[in-house]
Amino acid sequence: MSAVVDFPVKPETRPYLEAVAGSPGEPEWLMQHRRRALARFAELGFPSRHGEAWRYLDLRPLEQAPLRPLAATEVEAARAGGDPASAWPAAGLRLTLLDGRFAPELSRLGEMPATVWFGSMRDAIVRRPDLVGEALEALAADRDQPFAALNAGVFGDGFTLAVPEGVVVEPPIEILHLASGRSTASFHTRSLVTLGAASRVRLVEIYTGEGRYWRNDVVAVRLARGAAIDRVALVEEADAALHLAVFDATLGPDARLSSTALLLAGGTLRHDAVVRCQGEGARCGLYGAYLAAGRQQANFVTTLDHCAPRGETREVFKGVAADRAHGAFQGRITVRPNAQKVDAHMLSRNLLLGAHAAVDTKPELEIFADDVKCSHGATVGDLDATALFYLLSRGIRRADARRMLIDAFLREPVDRVEPASLRDHLLARLSARLAVLEET
Amino acid sequence: MEFPSLMLEIRNLHARLGDGREILKGIDLAVTAGEVHAIMGPNGSGKSTLAAVLAGREGYEVTAGEVTYLGRDLLALAADERAREGLFLDFQYPVEIPGVNNMYFLRAALNAQRRHRGEPELDAGQFLRAVRAKLKELEIGEDLLQRAVNVGFSGGEKKRNEIFQMAMLEPRLAILDETDSGLDIDALRVVATGVNRQRRSDRAIILITHYQRLLNYVEPDRVHVLLAGRIVESGDKSLALELERGGYAAFGSVG
Repeated sequence: MSAVVDFPVKPETRPYLEAVAGSPGEPEWLMQHRRRALARFAELGFPSRHGEAWRYLDLRPLEQAPLRPLAATEVEAARAGGDPASAWPAAGLRLTLLDGRFAPELSRLGEMPATVWFGSMRDAIVRRPDLVGEALEALAADRDQPFAALNAGVFGDGFTLAVPEGVVVEPPIEILHLASGRSTASFHTRSLVTLGAASRVRLVEIYTGEGRYWRNDVVAVRLARGAAIDRVALVEEADAALHLAVFDATLGPDARLSSTALLLAGGTLRHDAVVRCQGEGARCGLYGAYLAAGRQQANFVTTLDHCAPRGETREVFKGVAADRAHGAFQGRITVRPNAQKVDAHMLSRNLLLGAHAAVDTKPELEIFADDVKCSHGATVGDLDATALFYLLSRGIRRADARRMLIDAFLREPVDRVEPASLRDHLLARLSARLAVLEET
Repeated sequence: MEFPSLMLEIRNLHARLGDGREILKGIDLAVTAGEVHAIMGPNGSGKSTLAAVLAGREGYEVTAGEVTYLGRDLLALAADERAREGLFLDFQYPVEIPGVNNMYFLRAALNAQRRHRGEPELDAGQFLRAVRAKLKELEIGEDLLQRAVNVGFSGGEKKRNEIFQMAMLEPRLAILDETDSGLDIDALRVVATGVNRQRRSDRAIILITHYQRLLNYVEPDRVHVLLAGRIVESGDKSLALELERGGYAAFGSVG
């Protein structure tokens, strides 16, 4: 599928439409999905900064130098070598996606209950189309968000996790996204997690790599009644990398989602969380922190839709922008007319360090129900001068004192992560990143 | 002795706030190693400004005068350098720092000072042993250890934490800024005992206080009365008792 298209095409999308998507012998239903999604991408084009949704990200470098999707045949075998520093050392189960493709030799799929399906997306398409077929098409983001549409059109692989009713998977499952640095290209991964009633999993997504690349990742999560997921994303991409990720979740009645995302390294980073609390009593916690320095751009976008009564949302996002970096938080919580007794709070706190750094924060509430408890707050400020003086007055060097305060500021969203070994890993990565920035 | 006996010498020190208001209007003071000096004065007399200027807090401008500390120009040093040279400020209002563990903070401070002196840093185990010994000596509970710096501490706990930090950092010159304010009698006793244990022939302590109460527990060698930015009277401990009886008005205009 390439070359000849008979729908309206925005010029900047052309390099992607000409790329080879999928792989030979894919089922017809998937080919149809891909064609429809690409048509949508071609029609939408790259987002304009004049629109609200992409106001805070400068994507001109990508328009000027396209990063074409890597074809399956171009992915080389994984090289030997130790785990990258970003990987969680205590991970038991690990699925590695190298340059966007499942790398079995770098994975440990381990022992799972027999009823749990866990493997690559490509494998699931062949062997379990019943699990993935409908969900590959059904994301709202694919209609509205151009890069999600592109992802649906050209994704190469991803992971699939399906947990049946009542099953609890105790050990956290790590998804390790690597970029080898051998290809200047884009990696489009698409993954699906379906959790049956009262099932539970912990997911750890690590994104890291070398070289210049564009990672375009979409993860869809479906939670049935009473299901629960605790999800952590650690983003430490290469300095020249572009990272766009969409985490799309639908919560059934009494389902519970907790997501903690850390954006620590990478040239341009955007993390989108799109959550629909569809069932009554669904609870959602979205937490995040970004640390942007140099000329980095980091952007958290959350879109929360309460469609049912008695839902609960907590959002806490923290950001630090230094040097010439630009950080942004855009959060929207919508409460539909029938979604009474919703309790939703959103907080964005930011440190602006340096005259050339920039922070934007834009929390929004759209409330159509009358019996709800909703609030939002946003702050942008400098380090607390009194606290800084207190540390200095004990002999701690200025650079160390500043680092301690930044670390302390950013760790709050991480402090609730379980298990402790995972939390410690995240905090260690945060400290390591701060130490690197201090030296430059 | 390897240290000069004159520890701190302040000559004609003038300082003003960022808004231009002059607070210190010519302070002269000499403190010798081994001594405890009390500086007493009413609210607004410049007590806390003097402490802040000596510790190197930003927001004050020294417009005249000089301060010599252990033979060096104190005012030329940044706040953290002063601390590493052995100056300690006990805060009137210890600062809460959420997210920074009390022990992590104190170990970083102690090791920064040890590095500066060319001494080996303490590892976690050595540090913890030193901490436990010191807490026991000061009769302070170990519950302060695991919390963030001063977060959720009562007023008394904060002041105990200051004294504990002072004991761990072993300064040459300690300036205690109204350490007695807001303390009940038990906390005051713990703090005063801590201060008395810190008295050494090679260390000087400056107690800044509004009230004579603390001086019942910590006996000063010298007492100074600070009024409207100047030291208007100096004497021995009997001066404090005189103040207690007659108030500051006997020494001139308070405002």
